[in-house]
Amino acid sequence: MKSSLTFHKLFVGLLVIYLLIPLVGTLLFSIAGKWDHTILPESYTLKWYIELFQDERFYDAFRRTLFLIVISVGLSVVIMLPTIFIITVYFSKWEGLLQAAAMLPYGVPPIVGAVGLIKLYSAGPIQIAGTPWILIGAYFITILPFMYQGIRNSLRTLNAVQLVDAAELLGATKFQAFRTVVFPNIISGILVSTLLSVSLLFSEFAFANLLVGGRFETLQIYLSDKLNSSGHLTSAIVITYYSMILLLTGTVLKLTFRNKRNPVGSK
Amino acid sequence: MSYVTIEQVTKGYDNQLVLNNISLTLKKGEFATLLGQSGCGKSTLLRSIAGLEDVDVGRILIDGKDITDLSPRQREVGMVFQSYALFPNMNVFDNIAYGLKMKKVKNLKSKVNNMIDMVDLIGKEESYPHQLSGGQQQRVALARALVMEPKVLLLDEPLSALDAKIRKSLQKELKRIQKELDITTIFVTHDQEEAMTMSDRIFVMNKGQVVQSGSPSEIYTSPVNTFVAKFIGNYNVCNMEVFRKLVRTTELKGNEVAIRPEVLQLVSVGEDSLDLQGNWEIKGFVKDVSMAGNVLRYEVETEECAFHVDYLHHRGEMFEQGARVQILVPKKECIML
Ligand SMILES: Nc1ncnc2c1ncn2[C@@H]1O[C@H](COP(=O)(O)OP(=O)(O)OP(=O)(O)O)[C@@H](O)[C@H]1O
Ligand SMILES: [Mg+2]
Repeated sequence: MKSSLTFHKLFVGLLVIYLLIPLVGTLLFSIAGKWDHTILPESYTLKWYIELFQDERFYDAFRRTLFLIVISVGLSVVIMLPTIFIITVYFSKWEGLLQAAAMLPYGVPPIVGAVGLIKLYSAGPIQIAGTPWILIGAYFITILPFMYQGIRNSLRTLNAVQLVDAAELLGATKFQAFRTVVFPNIISGILVSTLLSVSLLFSEFAFANLLVGGRFETLQIYLSDKLNSSGHLTSAIVITYYSMILLLTGTVLKLTFRNKRNPVGSK
Repeated sequence: MSYVTIEQVTKGYDNQLVLNNISLTLKKGEFATLLGQSGCGKSTLLRSIAGLEDVDVGRILIDGKDITDLSPRQREVGMVFQSYALFPNMNVFDNIAYGLKMKKVKNLKSKVNNMIDMVDLIGKEESYPHQLSGGQQQRVALARALVMEPKVLLLDEPLSALDAKIRKSLQKELKRIQKELDITTIFVTHDQEEAMTMSDRIFVMNKGQVVQSGSPSEIYTSPVNTFVAKFIGNYNVCNMEVFRKLVRTTELKGNEVAIRPEVLQLVSVGEDSLDLQGNWEIKGFVKDVSMAGNVLRYEVETEECAFHVDYLHHRGEMFEQGARVQILVPKKECIML
């Protein structure tokens, strides 16, 4: 028993080191001054960060990425929440169809998807190829599986159908039932899916590069552009961006745990 | 004058008939029970009355008003679900107050507090459903329905998730509250003992039909068919031809005979003082003895079939396993079906 526990600890430790080394290296590189023939940098400096935070392009890219994310995730919540609710509660026959549709994005590689999207939207009635709008459309689809699973699972564990039945018998309309009984109980579930989607989209490069590229410079495109100029600077970008993700993930975990502590549903 | 009328209600899912031409009536203040095996359509009937399911054919009337096409919120019926369906984001007070808030009722607070008092939950107003025991959750669900003063209260196996002891005490409490408010109640259960102790009237259901209705004692003492006999009283049901052979007579008619296990008597072989005027006797041996609470249940094997014989358990066992016995069957207790 004891030796196997040690083994487990060792294994986890190795894994953590394996995962952390590149990150620590990046961090060191982003604050290194001179670092040629020593194990650790000879001097440290924050000038890469200062340079980064003084670059207007960085803020612009950041703002654009944020814009894309807020619009796509917001749209996804506004559209998918009522859809999934109505389907699971009133048209459970169609649930399979919705599930299949939501899982479809997994089956299409981004490159193939992007080429198809460009073809489709560069002519015809909706010419949005090369604009951020096509990217928003693609992102909506990308996060569909997360949103779908998250919302549906919250509804399931809540036993939403029966709660709506109970509320209706007590004189609530269907909309009142949703607002007062269902929504407050699935809000943390929705938040978790939302944050997962946000951190996923933060690091999205393939669609951004193929669909709009330099015409609408997102954080990832800015990053790939800087990769050619200075390694120190790109390290600083990566670290900044990782800190953001870490913050987000931390929030997700916290919310998940709060959810576990106060389980919803009586059975 | 009937208060609740269900007229020829029929409902099917896909191509399976779940409610098959059900008609029944209830008087005001009556405690009626729908009793039947799992899957016989009890919940579906209850949900149809509540408006949570549409019926294909038939009408439902409450207090003279046709409610068949009304939405659940317009029907003035209250319902308690088997899994309670309490709102997890609200505490006890808010759960009970929910319906009154929806109806924008004045002096909500005193009504809710009265109800909390009635179901004995004082001090728990601030608790959330997950902080309550099963029995307490059940009372909240009951209070939440009752505070609306519904015309009819529907209870779908409200006690089935509770253990035997709490169940017994809640049965009594439920009955007390029902009498106190004089509220017409339809109770669903598949436990015949529960149905017997609680109901003014029982509707026995089988495969989407009401097969018998009546007071508990009517149903218990004169079942109309084999299904009811077996389901209600653990009757011994014996094929008539076999039974004629066992008691050596030809005077009996019908296809089957049903005999309650507690009217049978066992005597040792060779005992003389048998009343052969009023009884038939059947030879057999004790195959098994088991105890169910205060009842001693013998399984007696005869030439043709086995009989259950129930005795009140006062002074230990009277017959050992394997003992040769005679079963005395009172002639007037035999029900021909
Ligand atoms: N939504 C549905 N779709 C299809 N069939 C259904 C549906 N709801 C119920 N049924 C079927 O209707 C029949 C009766 O169901 P119902 O829930 O009324 O049974 P019940 O008497 O309440 O049983 P139990 O004691 O197990 O609760 C069952 O055979 C069930 O399979
Ligand atoms: Mg049921």
